[in-house]
Order: sequence, then structure tokens, then C-alpha cells
Amino acid sequence: MEVYAPDGAVGAAPTGLAPGAGVLAGKRIGVLDNSKPNAGLLLGRMAERLAARTGAGVGVVERKNAALPAPDDVLARLAEAQVVLTGSAD
Amino acid sequence: MTDASEMLEVASADPDTVRDVFAQRGWGDGLPLVAPTAERVDDMLAGSARDPDEVIAVLPPRSGMATRRIIAVNAVLAGCRPEHLGVLVAAVRALARPEVNLRGVNATTHPVAPMLVVHGEVARTAGYNAGLGAFGPGNVANAATGRALRLILLHVAGAVPGAGDASTQGGPAKYAYCVAENLDESPWGGYAASVGVDAPSAVTVHCGEAPHNVHDMEASGPAPILDKVASAMTSLGSNNAPVSSGEFFVMLCPEHAAACAAAGWTRSHVASYIHERARIRAGDLRAAFALRAWAPWQEALPDDSAMPVTEHPANIRIVVVGGPGKHSSVIPSWGMTSSATVPVEH
Repeated sequence: MEVYAPDGAVGAAPTGLAPGAGVLAGKRIGVLDNSKPNAGLLLGRMAERLAARTGAGVGVVERKNAALPAPDDVLARLAEAQVVLTGSAD
Repeated sequence: MTDASEMLEVASADPDTVRDVFAQRGWGDGLPLVAPTAERVDDMLAGSARDPDEVIAVLPPRSGMATRRIIAVNAVLAGCRPEHLGVLVAAVRALARPEVNLRGVNATTHPVAPMLVVHGEVARTAGYNAGLGAFGPGNVANAATGRALRLILLHVAGAVPGAGDASTQGGPAKYAYCVAENLDESPWGGYAASVGVDAPSAVTVHCGEAPHNVHDMEASGPAPILDKVASAMTSLGSNNAPVSSGEFFVMLCPEHAAACAAAGWTRSHVASYIHERARIRAGDLRAAFALRAWAPWQEALPDDSAMPVTEHPANIRIVVVGGPGKHSSVIPSWGMTSSATVPVEH
């Protein structure tokens, strides 16, 4: 016998990954600290080490609430960077 | 009736069989499921003249489209009756309101679950329990509607533990969490009207923890009862402790509500008193939480100040629920979410 599937269609196409940034030398690395414990420390150190190894510079560092999307003004400032490190969970 | 929904083959309508076939696809809540045949889903939809394929909401994180038909499929799975569908549709609308922050509710490690409160005429006509044992078990409407809402979150929203729900321990409220307001014994009228929803029937969705009991057999007046409510709200373990916009639903039993009303206290008086009494020393909160989402004026308070556990008395929501006895409950929110109350469509 036939029954309905319970999940229905998906309403929005999933967002794809951005293309790779290529050679990082001369580019700016940003950090979006999502306020999870030690996220700023971890991401900041990663940005510094990545910059030292590639010749990139560490640019803008922003912070957002872990439970909410980043506000538009934070995203606008992060747009100054070509690479942004973010995402840390507890 | 024709539509674009996916159908699948099962060997029989036996609830255990449906449960097992669905589980292989990552669906279900672990309990036997009523087979959502076309006939049963059509029967579920028969009470509504509205378009069954209208998209009521798109639910994160899966971005699943919750049409009336898909809501009805999950209502059938859970054991709902057609008279429960309008409540479920309204609940889905409420969940999609931006202030609810469903993406965060589903993503968090906290054990949050949306509590569904049914208000007004539909509570009576569709058989919801607002009295003794209202949070369950035993009532078909409360149990099946609460379960159906969770199935919608699992299937349509994709809030599957691990993939779309990161809750560290999960929680029993994630199986079914539906209750009706005891309007007949509310001395202050209905909750929905108190928040500006003037409709014969309405639902509220509050994304919170399981109920915390408040027991008071002794007091005859409001203050000692509400002091115990305040005590239940001042836990350092609550997400609301470091989040000043967090709401608390205070589900007063009729006898506690009557004691407050007999002293001339309104719903607003009750909330204001609790706000005054539910406080934690600011320095203790600062020592406990490096990460805080407090209002600026709260951050400015000296360590020895008694900090209210929520920014404003309006964040303390008073609803009358339950039957005889002297047990009320407090339901703290997840924190970064606000409740929503919406009318039930005809």
C-alpha cells in the first residue's frame, strides 16, 4: 500500500560553498567570533598563523551572538576581508 | 486528489511496520506511527476549505515547506483527529515567526522544545485538556497535537538529533508538549487577548524547558506563593540567567491564581511582583557567566545589586493551567527566543 512521505519539498536551494580564495598573499583575513567559549582565541590564533605562513594580513575581527544571525553591519565590515574564519561550537 | 507529494510503498498499515519503514529513512520519533494513506490525509484535510498545498511556512534548518497537506500527513502519523489540524497549522505559523528564532531553537545544545498552549473555543470543541493533568498523559488532543508538532519539526524542519538538533541530552518535552489554557478558571480572562490576539481561538508557542514545579500548600495570599515562583526562576543553570530578554511562562494552577485574584492582584500585578522578587546578585551572575546578553542598564549595575532574571515584567507570562491542587510551574525559555501567539484559522 502507498503512504505519504512526511517531509515534503524543500523551499529554498541550499547555499553553496564559495569558491576557494586562491593564493592568500596580500589578501586580508577576517575573523567572525560567534561568542562560543574560546572561539575568538582559537580563530584569532588561526588567522595569525595562516597570515604568517601565506603572506596575508589579518584584517577585521568581528563578534556576534552565538544564537542569532550576524547583523548586517557586521557582515558589511567583514566584506573588507577576502577570507573569513568563523564557526566554533561548544 | 492529486498533488506533487512523494508517496512510498509499505507492506501494511500496521503501525510497527510504518515506524520501521520510516526509521530506515531517518523519520519518526521511535514510536509506532499511523499509516498516512491518501484516504486518511484527505479526511484530515476535509474540515478545511483552504488550499491544501498553500505553503504555511518554510521551516529551518532544512527549509522544508510546511503545506497544509504535509502538516496533515504528520497529524495522521501522530494520531490526530481532523479537529486538531487548525491548531497545528496555527502552531506552524507561530514557529515561523522571526522572534521565535526556530533556527536557533533547533540548532542549540539546550534541551529546548516548543510548548504549544491552546486558547479559546477550540480547546473545548476539539477536546484539549486544560484541567487536571493537562500536561499529560492521557488526553488524545494534547498528546497527538504535541506529538504531531514534533514530527513536523523532525520531518519538515529537519530537527533530527545530530543532523539538525544538537541538544546535548534531548528531553521528554521533545516528544509532545501541548497543553490548553484553563480559561474557565482564569480570574483574568484569556492569555491570548492579554497579548493583543482577539480571536475565538488561538495558540501560543513558547520555546522553553520542561516545566519546573512550584509547590505551595500553605499560603492563602499571593506573595508567599509567588515568592516560590520567583525561587524556581532564579537558577544559575537556566539559559535565561545570562540572557535578559528571556521569557518565563508561569503556569499558575487555578487555586494559586484564585489566591492572587482574591487579593485584588491582576495578571500584571503578578508579573510585576515576580519581577521584583526573582533576582540574583549581579556579581554572582558575572562570576558565573563570561558571555552575557544583558541590557546595557543591567551591565551597569554594581555587583551587589539584585539583578532581575529578566529585563522587564512583560517577559513574565501568566497562564492558568491545571485542575485541583496547589502545584504551579515555571517554564524558562531557551533564552534567545520570544513566544508568539497567533489566531487559529476557521
